[in-house]
Amino acid sequence: MKANRAVTPYLFLGPALLVFGFAVVLPVAMTAVYSLTDWNGYGSMTFVGLDNYVKALGDSLFRDSFAHVIAYIAATLVLEVVIGLCLAGLVSARRRGSLWFRVAIFTPVMLPMVVVAILWAFVYNADFGLLNAALEAAGLQNLQKVWLGDPSTALLAISVTSGWVYAGFYMTIFYAAFNQIPSEVVEAARLDGAGEWQIFRRIKVPMIRSAVTVAVLLCVTGGFQGFDLFYVMTNGGPYGATEIPTTYLVKSVFTFGNVGYGSAMAVLLTAVVVVVGLILARFNRQRPEGARS
Amino acid sequence: MTRSRKTTITALSALSAATLALTGCAGGGGGGSDDNVLRIAMGSPGEAQIRVWDQVAEQFEAAHEGMTVEMNYQDDDLYQTIGLPNLLNGRNAPDIYFEWAGSRLEQRVSDGFAADLTDAVETEPIAGLFDEDVFTSVTVDGTVAMVPHAADVTNVLWYNKQILADAGVTPPTTWDELLAACDTLDAQGIIPIASGNKDLWAAGNWLAHLASRVVGEDAYAQALSGETGFSSPEWEKALGYVKELADHNCVNESANAVDDNEGAQLFFQGKAAMHAIGSWLVSWAIDEAPDLDFDYVNLPAMPGAGDQDSVIGVVTGYVVNAKSSKQDAAAEFLALLNNDENVQAFIAAELTPMALSASGGEIDSRSADLINMLETAPAIVLPPDTGYDLERANALYTALAEVMGGQSSPADALAGIDQKLG
Repeated sequence: MKANRAVTPYLFLGPALLVFGFAVVLPVAMTAVYSLTDWNGYGSMTFVGLDNYVKALGDSLFRDSFAHVIAYIAATLVLEVVIGLCLAGLVSARRRGSLWFRVAIFTPVMLPMVVVAILWAFVYNADFGLLNAALEAAGLQNLQKVWLGDPSTALLAISVTSGWVYAGFYMTIFYAAFNQIPSEVVEAARLDGAGEWQIFRRIKVPMIRSAVTVAVLLCVTGGFQGFDLFYVMTNGGPYGATEIPTTYLVKSVFTFGNVGYGSAMAVLLTAVVVVVGLILARFNRQRPEGARS
Repeated sequence: MTRSRKTTITALSALSAATLALTGCAGGGGGGSDDNVLRIAMGSPGEAQIRVWDQVAEQFEAAHEGMTVEMNYQDDDLYQTIGLPNLLNGRNAPDIYFEWAGSRLEQRVSDGFAADLTDAVETEPIAGLFDEDVFTSVTVDGTVAMVPHAADVTNVLWYNKQILADAGVTPPTTWDELLAACDTLDAQGIIPIASGNKDLWAAGNWLAHLASRVVGEDAYAQALSGETGFSSPEWEKALGYVKELADHNCVNESANAVDDNEGAQLFFQGKAAMHAIGSWLVSWAIDEAPDLDFDYVNLPAMPGAGDQDSVIGVVTGYVVNAKSSKQDAAAEFLALLNNDENVQAFIAAELTPMALSASGGEIDSRSADLINMLETAPAIVLPPDTGYDLERANALYTALAEVMGGQSSPADALAGIDQKLG
């Protein structure tokens, strides 16, 4: 009887562990193994030790790709999380019409990213696109640009697209968190003469610190995993200005057949994401809910 | 060893074996498990040619009772990069697949994915369908590795007859004429040459050909083969001409931001006077811009060491998978594909096969001229991305795009290539 009781939890866990093993542990382990080889994906595999890691760490394009993704994450923290927070504040402060507003802002989240990328590539198209046409119609021809062909604007253009999609996602998270705040707290602040901005900044935001931290964690780790928008809109160009680790390693593996080298970059990228995620999680644990920033 | 440890090891072994089977890591597929299915893979050749392929498949199935033909059409870029390697490694690997002659074909041979077709083309069933000379470019290590199907001129300068006539410009045949044409057209607010180079190959093919005319075909091949570096006075001079293109506003400002399709649209919609792209534009333009009156000139003569009548082109065709258990059936299919009836059907679909019987077909005059130009070319230059190692080709393409976009000087761009390639 006792033995059965000891085995039972493992029987329940078994299917989930099996799926997790196949879908997560094994691919990660195999990627780590490939990273130690020189392999084109189908020919013979040669063990090269840590050569691929040494090469990756000395590869200026790989290092640059991290600089690009960090700039992208910084931009999306503002365009997605901060704007999402502001939108949630607006929606929670004004009840009338807030449902339609939330639906409208959330709709882009439901679109496939490839569709979003194609749509916005058309908006940014220098010759036929909506943005330059709108600028021309407004008499602002001097502001027209080759948005995705200029290294100074391409990364920002992609970040704006990302913001258009995900600001609604974060708005929904923050809106749900705001709704968990006891109404007495907000009413008491109003009775004390606090305005909506003060309530938002001094009461609501500090009280949803956990939700903000989760949002930042999602935005940062999601940023490192970004791929679709970059691949479709610029393919890493112009002149490598939007090359990020994921596009670079995918090119390495699938275009150039350097599976070993690409795998080493994937392992390094995974390590960076895990470390950043752990730091953010630890930061969250150290600061209790409602603590002053 | 305890029982629990034994159980754990057994479970792990089973898990590993199952995973290897699931992920198809057993070293590449062998034409699939179903012996009655002949699988064929290629980049999508367009609706008109797909109809011909479907007809050929029906003919094959009618002649081979119990067999079916399964066609796999992929997006061109996808097929060239991720698609084909994935298929070859998969459980249902193709028995026949599209490939480009040159470095890619050599790689397939060395990886064991290209069957020896020498007997098939010398005796049966393919014998007599082709001129023997066409097999030269598809012979690797003394064996025929591919049945050629078509030869593409991968870059010429297409021009809109009406726009050039209205602007008082004659189709340029020399470098100075080209720059003068750019100045005239640019002054009239017309894009002189449209290019969609986001993926680097479109202008890359064109400007690589230009570079070969300047540095000479041998120096071009040596640099792309890795025998020499790119940092040399000759290459710097070649990229200096690319800079002149940028200085004269020859190419649309958006060139490095738009893909080949968007670049072609500038030409189709009359926003650009010329378009530097390959022979496939003929059927494309007939489909999308039926009223467009267009023709072509080969790359204008450059001041340089190369042959100024050279043509950039590549032979494409179909490889029989060496791991296929249906190699005889595959060879029979390729013979059927190249018989008189099907060759004429491909010509009607705006593709000109290399089979002997194609000479009797009614071919678009521009396509016929292009084929003639390729066949009589004093020198044929292989495109970097299909003729040579893709990583070297990409490094050159990146440098050319940087100079064309005014992002780098010729010297810096060339130094970047050698740095990238180590």
